[in-house]
Amino acid sequence: MHVRSRKARWTVTAVVVAALLPLTSCGAPASTPPGSATLTLGVQAPPNSFDPVQLLEGQQMYIWSAIYDTLLYSDNDAVLRPNAAESWQYSDDARKLTLKLRSGMKFSSGAPVTAAAVKTTIDRTKTTPGPLQSNLGSLQSVEAPDDGTVVLNLSRPDPNLLGSLAQGNGVIGDPATLTSPNTALDPVGSGPYTLDRQATVNGSKYVLQRRVDYWNAAAYPAKTVTVRVIPDRTALFNALLSGEVDAGSVDANQAQAAQKAGLTLKRVDGTAVGEFVLADRGGKLAPALADVRVRRAINMAFDRKKIVDKIIGGLGQPTTQMFNPKSPAYIPELNDKYPYDPAAARRLMAEAGYANGFSLTIPANVMSQMVQPTITQALADIGITANWKPVPPQDGTQTGEYPVYFNIAGTVPAPRTVNSKLAPAGSTNPFKFQTPELNALIDKAAATTDADQAGEIYRQINTYVVDNAWFAPLFTSSSNWVTRGKVTFLGTGANPLSTIRTFDAGK
Amino acid sequence: MVAYIARRLATGLVLAVLVTLITFLLLSTSFDRVVAAVLGPAATPALIGPTKERMGLDRPVLVQYLDWLGHTVRGDFGTSYFTSEDVVHAVTGRLGVTLSIILIALVISVVVSVALGVLSAARGGVADRVAQGLSLVGHLVPGLLIAIGLVFALAINLQLLPATGYTPLAEDPGRWAATIAIPVIVLVVSGIANMTAQIRGSMIDELRKDYVRTLRSRGIPTRSIVYRHALRNAAGPALTVLSLEFLQMFGAALIIENVFALPGFGSYAFNASIQGDVPIIMGVTVFSVLMVVSLNLVADLVNGWLNPKARIH
Repeated sequence: MHVRSRKARWTVTAVVVAALLPLTSCGAPASTPPGSATLTLGVQAPPNSFDPVQLLEGQQMYIWSAIYDTLLYSDNDAVLRPNAAESWQYSDDARKLTLKLRSGMKFSSGAPVTAAAVKTTIDRTKTTPGPLQSNLGSLQSVEAPDDGTVVLNLSRPDPNLLGSLAQGNGVIGDPATLTSPNTALDPVGSGPYTLDRQATVNGSKYVLQRRVDYWNAAAYPAKTVTVRVIPDRTALFNALLSGEVDAGSVDANQAQAAQKAGLTLKRVDGTAVGEFVLADRGGKLAPALADVRVRRAINMAFDRKKIVDKIIGGLGQPTTQMFNPKSPAYIPELNDKYPYDPAAARRLMAEAGYANGFSLTIPANVMSQMVQPTITQALADIGITANWKPVPPQDGTQTGEYPVYFNIAGTVPAPRTVNSKLAPAGSTNPFKFQTPELNALIDKAAATTDADQAGEIYRQINTYVVDNAWFAPLFTSSSNWVTRGKVTFLGTGANPLSTIRTFDAGK
Repeated sequence: MVAYIARRLATGLVLAVLVTLITFLLLSTSFDRVVAAVLGPAATPALIGPTKERMGLDRPVLVQYLDWLGHTVRGDFGTSYFTSEDVVHAVTGRLGVTLSIILIALVISVVVSVALGVLSAARGGVADRVAQGLSLVGHLVPGLLIAIGLVFALAINLQLLPATGYTPLAEDPGRWAATIAIPVIVLVVSGIANMTAQIRGSMIDELRKDYVRTLRSRGIPTRSIVYRHALRNAAGPALTVLSLEFLQMFGAALIIENVFALPGFGSYAFNASIQGDVPIIMGVTVFSVLMVVSLNLVADLVNGWLNPKARIH
């Protein structure tokens, strides 16, 4: 532009400055006017390091999934959607996954998001021991043929991979800062928010500020998200009542009080399974467990309905299945498979040659505490003596030291349940137990890219596992989400992942 | 005097070394589990081995301890296994929160309990019974219950004070005072209960002594006898209780911090030990030992200043 007079020059400057002002001061571009609401979320445990190789799923994900973009996004109905990757395509043999990246994405440092950044992050996770490494077991190599294309070459079809790319394994780190020690506490990502280090208090309060230049800012109505760590349940409840926190999950007895106080309550069923895991199916430590009749007898020793009513206060449903009730693998009829029948169970025990019973060493920890007396009683009814061995909270029970254990696990998508609990190398298959029949089904599911077909195979897997009594699941439990004001909880229980997109902060 | 302080500090350092060594030895038995926790749910024996090596936890325990000690002496306490936060930064930050509550609670407790204790010992009668009653109630009602009651009344119903959280003094002094108000009240109640009884007891003992009768016979005013002479002599035992009270408040802070979701020292130390965050546990141990040692030293010095008989030359 050629500006002749001095006055005109000033005018132009003023116009330019005025145009820039809203950008710098309010931080909202004129084209997309997303909400200016704030959201304060109460969680119970502080996050670990934000280094992409150290990311843990669970409530920590609220924070890191806001800072980092994941390649895919699992929506509130657990349907995979494009995210940083605009599209993805498997080869016919399901051994090559090609992802096309969205163009124009930028890290909060200003650097562009490229396929090379994706490759660097995934390669690093693959080679660094950490919680996410095992999800990349099938990955052979990552290629970045151009800036917008990422190709994952697999040694075998892996149905768990796409789901993982919507979680920690799909995170895109900034190669320039990835290995810097600062990343653990002050990460650089390309996600919708940046961590406000000034306002953040490690282990206690994490403040996230929405980026003005994020491509999908409209999906994040809250301008500022504060995640407050409140380990004590009563304290969290108090914070909700006093309005210091907008959303949080509460206990059953607090749920009613919250409703009376005028807060919004949403009960989400099937968010976790309370499972008595008969891990030593091969009979390594407890030979009796190798007999399917014994495992079935154990399943029939539990009065699941009563456990739900009396122990978890009616906040759940009896189940005999390990799968998420909202996943395609779940078959309601399977829940009738093992009715409460101690007499029949005793007959099965006698048939298996254990009329006089046997004893089992079971780890006792925080999680098992509430069901211990019930399990002891139920097992005693069919002749099994439970020897509870105290285990401190920081120690694992799924280590192969205990033939059986009680666990409460979040309900994850079916491929992940298979991958961790049923696959021969599964991280929560402590005895690495396997059978040719189930392995065949698992391989078949892996090779199927058609969702309907895969669903059918997962139902077969579930039927096999319940038939052969690999576990003695007792109940699925529900969560109570309490929100206040304009904040609403959008989760349905189908997707157990914690992202702030499960909340609508209102306008 | 200087030699005495130096000697006490040296003993303190030896004590710190011993306590940290024992802590480290106790922790060393569960290093495998610590590594498993660092690796998360996917930890397998095949992964644990190399990771343990990478973290240096496979070396002989004494070598590891000396290595830690060497770094610590130079001020390098390491970083958390789980969050990578610098230990000194993390511990001092949280210590600040806890100390701001405890010190204020302690000052208030001292002022109120000295007043109550002296009053009830010197006056007796109704004042005495009221003070004893208060002290008894403070003893009987658990701090946790008071905390819950106050939160319900002041934070949830009246919305006068925040129910949870902490705002640093530097950020907003008004909010800072509001966030620590209820925790301070809770600590003050038990602090007053403990110290009033102690001060009353030692004051009564002092006032019955011969020198008090002598002073009275000389016509010294009661006020002067009570404050100048008896209180000064009664202060010794009270001071010991005070330093114990400080440490007890540190313990109580763990519960208080949890109930009010304060990012304090107690809950931090507790979580670190649950997780097995070795560098943090060691850092917390060092700070705790040094605090106890210096606190006792200060208490002894003040005692000596108050009471020439207890002075060390």
